[in-house]
Amino acid sequence: MTEEKAYRRLESSKELQQISFQHMLEGHHASEEGRLAWVTSGFPVEIPVAMDVGVVYPEQYGAVVGANKVGPMVCGFAEDIGYSSELCSYARASIGSILKPSESPLEGLPKPQALLACNNICGSVLKWYDAVSELTEAPVFLLDTPALDVEQQPHHIEYVRHGIDNLIEFLSTTLGSTLTDERLIETAKLSSEAITLWQKSLKACKAKPTPLNCADRFLTMAPVVSSRGKQYCVDFYKTLYEEVESRVKEGIGAIRDEKVRLLWDNIPPWFQIFRFFNGMAQRGVAFPADTYTHAWSGAVEADDPYTSVATVYSNSYLNKGLEAKADKMEHLIKDYDLDGFIMFSVRSCKRYSLGQMVTREIVTERTGVPGTIIEGDMVDSRLFNEAQIGTRVDALLEMFV
Amino acid sequence: MSYGEIIENSAQRLQDLTRKGSMVVGYLYPHTPIELLMAHGLTPSLIRVNPSVVAGFEDSLQTFSCAFTRNIFSQRANGNLLSLSGVLFPGNTCDALQNVADVWRFRFPGDKILRVTYPATALTEHAVDFLANEFRFLSDNIAKMFDRQISATELADAASIVNDFREAMQFLYAARVYDSNAITYSELVSLLRKFLTAPDRSVVDEIAERFREIRQVLEKNGHLNSADILKDGLLIGNLEKVVTPPSNEFPRIVVVGGMVEPQAIASIVNNLDGVSDNIIALDLLSFGFKTVFTPKTLIPPANKGTKPIGAAPEPSYEGPFKAMARAVLQAPLEPTQEGLTTRTEFLKQLLTKIGVQGLVVCEQSFCDPDEFEAPSLEKAAEKAGIPSLRFPIDPELSDRGRLEGRLQTFLETIGEV
Repeated sequence: MTEEKAYRRLESSKELQQISFQHMLEGHHASEEGRLAWVTSGFPVEIPVAMDVGVVYPEQYGAVVGANKVGPMVCGFAEDIGYSSELCSYARASIGSILKPSESPLEGLPKPQALLACNNICGSVLKWYDAVSELTEAPVFLLDTPALDVEQQPHHIEYVRHGIDNLIEFLSTTLGSTLTDERLIETAKLSSEAITLWQKSLKACKAKPTPLNCADRFLTMAPVVSSRGKQYCVDFYKTLYEEVESRVKEGIGAIRDEKVRLLWDNIPPWFQIFRFFNGMAQRGVAFPADTYTHAWSGAVEADDPYTSVATVYSNSYLNKGLEAKADKMEHLIKDYDLDGFIMFSVRSCKRYSLGQMVTREIVTERTGVPGTIIEGDMVDSRLFNEAQIGTRVDALLEMFV
Repeated sequence: MSYGEIIENSAQRLQDLTRKGSMVVGYLYPHTPIELLMAHGLTPSLIRVNPSVVAGFEDSLQTFSCAFTRNIFSQRANGNLLSLSGVLFPGNTCDALQNVADVWRFRFPGDKILRVTYPATALTEHAVDFLANEFRFLSDNIAKMFDRQISATELADAASIVNDFREAMQFLYAARVYDSNAITYSELVSLLRKFLTAPDRSVVDEIAERFREIRQVLEKNGHLNSADILKDGLLIGNLEKVVTPPSNEFPRIVVVGGMVEPQAIASIVNNLDGVSDNIIALDLLSFGFKTVFTPKTLIPPANKGTKPIGAAPEPSYEGPFKAMARAVLQAPLEPTQEGLTTRTEFLKQLLTKIGVQGLVVCEQSFCDPDEFEAPSLEKAAEKAGIPSLRFPIDPELSDRGRLEGRLQTFLETIGEV
């Protein structure tokens, strides 16, 4: 007799594998045709997609490197040519894979003809893409969305709006692509549809037991990051939402015995994603919400897509201050009726992580629930001290017994 | 004067100013529009790292916040920045500074915090407009927060002080490339520090005095014209017309890096056996060269008076916020901005033109901009045929013995080539 696992596998995972494969093939095809861009995860991808530019995501590739447990090796290739081990491991992984593709998962990403960076997720993306540009000779375009200290002001919208004009010109000049309003509106609609379905699946996790756990969301978020604006992306999220809805109706949880509900903050340790979250599932701990997968929430409006892009992409979660992050955590804890939270302090990601120590205090004060901070990295497993993390998590869980 | 004594003097000067009723606002980013703060009747003071600071950040920042921010934060946590009336943070420069400003607000709720957000793109009219609006917001916030209004006369006076400072310092920087004995690097950066600690006309007069003396020295030794050409070339980032100096000092180096304290570099070099800071031909540091080589802020004089016969035609003026924004965005590019290729090409040109034998690439721990840029700078030096040394320097100079050993060895190596 096989032992029953503490978590339930999603049926939609099969379709996820198929569209991941399709996305990869599209990337190779675009590269061969000289129209492939590497893009950052917060980039307004609706524009290059509407211009028939193929897109792939080095951050997703970093997650693949991490999940394959070869982070230290691939990051090490970048360190060998002078990039400090203190730098972002997504950046080091992609630089490393360019240097030694044959020793990297999937033989690295297909060769880019353009590099599109938007600094709404962090300031390092420009430096990272500059480094990639030196190695691949693909030109870099920066869509500058200065971090918001207060509400977005008209001059900020205007500045980003001009940046979008420059982006279109850059893609036209560099890759010979053209953009029509019809095509952009059509892409924006598909993108918004996928995001709306994704948000519905996330909101369904308010149910008890939660139909999706953290690892489920981290894996199923891939298409909304990489394939926004594509019909197959919408189709996938329809399938996922149907499964989620069905789980909610039937009272089927993502884990078999949900006792404690926690919030996860930050990127996950990709090399530990199953081990960590399934280990928690065995102890009855579910994660109905997290700040990372909820970041893909802004839908581009079709009636004025250019201004909408300028506002939606400037107002992303990581482009706002600590107060906005604390607000988000507070709302998630209250809305999803969570018992506590775990903040993963990711050494690679200063934009996400610096400030967590005070955010923890603010969130606990506002919600009355406890939280803990564990430290490590999302790709570089050398920085993940499992025993130390275990002690911290145990101390938190003892509070719920 | 030792590095420690210089720090003490700066602190003392600030305390004296505060006692006399000055409102001192500290700032962290070199491209702060200090003339704007001065025009509001405030004293802008660059907050510097302090090597003797004891850690005091542990309950607020993780250890992977950069060494610079940890040092500054610790100074505040330890009560060493009490004489400041407010602190101005930059936005959209690097992630550490971005987040530390928020942490600061929470930890020290009584502090008055201002922020200016900078464009990361290189100079475009849209970037100028954006930054001009940011400066306008800053001015409004200062007026509200400190009840200090601005006037056209005060702004013109402040701009004149800052412009005179820049012009004199630019010449002194260029002069050292041709005659590093004319003014030591320590004295140069000490003058710079004095102005940035509390800018006023008296410090500019002191710098202007040295400016006149050194012009005479260079006139006598025949380098004056070359220094003027270099100054102009450095200002526009084009060194085509620059005359390579005679190689009478040997070896000579360029020091490049981000928000590293120039005084710390001078202190380390002067501590080496048989070496003085004459070996530093030029620094390309944010708090050194990049601060100094900001072009003039073209603000119309408040009272133009009668134009002298034969005077140069007046430049065309734009609004003061736009003029300040344009000057800032025309300053040498920081590693947090677009333009890596421009920076590396400039570095190659510089290393070739000013006849140095080595490049020292400074990097502070967990400083993303420094650490990302360092390999590209090394490559640029290699292409120019100049050996380089990676120099991991922290504000506390905790590894000073090893740093000095590395530098000494590097200098001996390039001296033998």
